[in-house]
Amino acid sequence: MLSLLAVLSLFATACGDSDSSSSDSGSSSASASASSDDEPAAEEDAGEAESSEDEEAATEETTPPPQPKHGGTMVIATTQVGANVNHGVNSGIGIAQPSSKIFASLTHLDSNWEPQPYLAESWEVSDDSLTVTFNLVEGATFHDGAPITSADVKFSIEVIQANHPFTGMWGPLESIDTPDDLTVVLHLANPHPALWIATSDVMMPIMPKHIMDDGTPINEMKGHPNNVAGAIGSGPFRLTEYENTRKIVLERYEDFFIPDRPYLDSIIYVIVPDEDATMLGLESGEYDSAGYASVINAEKVRNNSDLVAIPDLLGGVGSLNHLQFNMANSIMSDLRVRQAIAYTIDRDYVINTLHQGQTMELLGGIHPSSPFYNENVERYDVDLDKARSLLYDAGYKDGLDLRINYIPGPNEQQRNVAEYIALALDEVGINVEVMQSADLPSWAGIFFGGPDAWHMTMNAYFNWGDPVIGVQRAYVCANIKPGVFVNNSAYCNEKVDELLYAAAAEPDVAKRKALYDEFQEITAIELPFYGINALPIFGANQLYVRDQPDGAWGPLSGFENVWLDK
Amino acid sequence: MTDLGMAIESSVETGGRGAFRMFLRNKPAVVGSVVFILIVLVTIFGPGIYGTEAHKMAAGPFLGPGDDAGPLLGTDYLGRDILAGVITGGRTTLFVAAVAGALSMGLGLVVGSLAGYFGGWVDALLMRFTEIFQAMPSLLFSLVLIYLIGPGTWKETLAIGVTMWALPARLTRAEFLRLREMEFVKASRAIGSGDLRIMTRTILPNAMPPLLVAATLLVVIAILFHAGLAFLGMVDINTVSWGSIMGKNRGYTLTAWWTVAFPGLAIVTTGLSIALIGDGLQDAFNPKLRGR
Repeated sequence: MLSLLAVLSLFATACGDSDSSSSDSGSSSASASASSDDEPAAEEDAGEAESSEDEEAATEETTPPPQPKHGGTMVIATTQVGANVNHGVNSGIGIAQPSSKIFASLTHLDSNWEPQPYLAESWEVSDDSLTVTFNLVEGATFHDGAPITSADVKFSIEVIQANHPFTGMWGPLESIDTPDDLTVVLHLANPHPALWIATSDVMMPIMPKHIMDDGTPINEMKGHPNNVAGAIGSGPFRLTEYENTRKIVLERYEDFFIPDRPYLDSIIYVIVPDEDATMLGLESGEYDSAGYASVINAEKVRNNSDLVAIPDLLGGVGSLNHLQFNMANSIMSDLRVRQAIAYTIDRDYVINTLHQGQTMELLGGIHPSSPFYNENVERYDVDLDKARSLLYDAGYKDGLDLRINYIPGPNEQQRNVAEYIALALDEVGINVEVMQSADLPSWAGIFFGGPDAWHMTMNAYFNWGDPVIGVQRAYVCANIKPGVFVNNSAYCNEKVDELLYAAAAEPDVAKRKALYDEFQEITAIELPFYGINALPIFGANQLYVRDQPDGAWGPLSGFENVWLDK
Repeated sequence: MTDLGMAIESSVETGGRGAFRMFLRNKPAVVGSVVFILIVLVTIFGPGIYGTEAHKMAAGPFLGPGDDAGPLLGTDYLGRDILAGVITGGRTTLFVAAVAGALSMGLGLVVGSLAGYFGGWVDALLMRFTEIFQAMPSLLFSLVLIYLIGPGTWKETLAIGVTMWALPARLTRAEFLRLREMEFVKASRAIGSGDLRIMTRTILPNAMPPLLVAATLLVVIAILFHAGLAFLGMVDINTVSWGSIMGKNRGYTLTAWWTVAFPGLAIVTTGLSIALIGDGLQDAFNPKLRGR
């Protein structure tokens, strides 16, 4: 189930139309699209969040917190370009940034990954976890003044189901009842813990049925004009200017359903070509906030007392940086070869030296910030002699020639690590050629070229909140198919399938964690992926930016509480 | 061929020895030559003498020049020695530049001499064809070629070489148009020389001076093109060249200047020295300056 996603595109890519999907898709699940907007890019994103652990914030706690003020314009620099502003029909950070301000969701997700009221003021879950009832805030309106009703919520879920690439979000949904204008009842086929991700912030923009349900087929909503300039939304800010490659201007919606919010008069997203431009703009004070991926820039921001550094901006996105093996290839299908490679790569060197200690270690397919992360798995600590003897046993006593590809992304994460791996493997007799790709589609081409098109690649699957959405798709047998961000490793283990499907429907958090723990133990040994680090998305704010959302979605949530202390 | 024919051909030699003396009197040109020869020697023998392998990690990443823990000119993002890279990278860069320059010069000579010598429809056809190449921005054309055929030293050389030949083609044609009506060419034809012989033995030697100058220019352009392609990330990442070092470290220009500055300096120095040689050649071949 799950599909796709994520990539990081990063700087480079240009955007494109989101549906150039190269995959087969079709039926159920996943269609993986190679287009860059599915990619969240690791980078940037933008905004920022005031982290509670932030040192600067901590020192300020000693004085009474200042009272929020109305007014001001917040300028946010981003390198991400989105094809539209509606995250209900496409994924991607470039879309998610404005979408989360223009459209409200049922719930917010806090920093403990617990749902908090937003457009839904309360909800009840039945004892069997199969029925969930949401009560909407009274008096909420769209930007054209029309009331937001349960019919709009139902319509929005249907649009997301029919268009969004994360098919795992709403997979178990059986039906939706709307007994009155302010009540939505969801009936589920099985318990669905990921529901709280699916109803949160950026994952569930509430769209206006009276505008979008105009005869456009439900599965063609990607092309609806309400996704671009002139979009009528439900969130704290209205879209007033939209040039998707230059800037996006949002203005305060006076009749937003939370009284006295938002504080800001307007938000301007400025699309900049690269991180250097972002840094110069932050230093000169031109931008109030920005996101970026480079650890060198992170160091610079940290040493700049005029800026607040935010260590990890987007825990919810859960971007991973890992080495993926092509188990469909005759050389790589041998576990001993993969183990030899794992025993050779020094993960600590990558993190502590290449990344200057600023990234988090990753041991499996789940992001380290997730409650389901398991750090007690096989680590394959460096052992060159063991690597050599494994290669010898596998029949490669004269060494072997391999290729490593890398997904175009932040160089420090992708290209530099690929080059390091090539140099490291040289020590044990594996001669590795680094294959570069000009852009995301040409990199993704390796997944359509048969078993010998690639041996291993640096890849970046994103978790997107719950393992059901972003992890399962990369490991289950059913998802071995041409496509991008599907099970491209061609890894198939019945036990792992069993664990993943059981965990997807397990309502008890502790039991669910146990299932995911075992999944991580098995896959860490069998190595469809060798985890390296969590792909960081850093943020930087000017000192006067206050109360940024610190939830799992960080700046990809409504900015109704953000204010400028100046 | 008769003695008369030989006499005609030898009489039209422009006096190479005189030009060489002129060249030696041109100080910038001599300095350029010395520098260029030094650079070539360093790229040939330097890597063996220096010892450190350019593509291996030599120390920690991003050590600055003069940092005690690292090599003389610092290290890049993987800890590779920049000095070793500059010494070794010159091999690829100079190879690409020389071969691409020769390739475009050869193409230009063939096309230009045929067009200029035969004139008429041959000229019209070849020149329209040349104009197609001239009208395209060369660097962009090279980029597209690399995109299509993929990176790799030979492919890069080809992609650069086939995009630059319009300039020497037009220059050759102009020289051939001018020379084919000269008395000595008519004399050669009168004694029965064939077209090929007239083109290669009678006209070409006399057309050489401006073409030699153009050749130096082409080599400089090729170096810059290769660096440009590398800067855009379109050259082979597994091969060390001046351009590829700069291209790979492009993102660190503001934080680790040495990773880009030293290979850049090597490119500038090489380009300048070749340009000085070209200038010297131009002056040396110019009869109006002779004897001054």
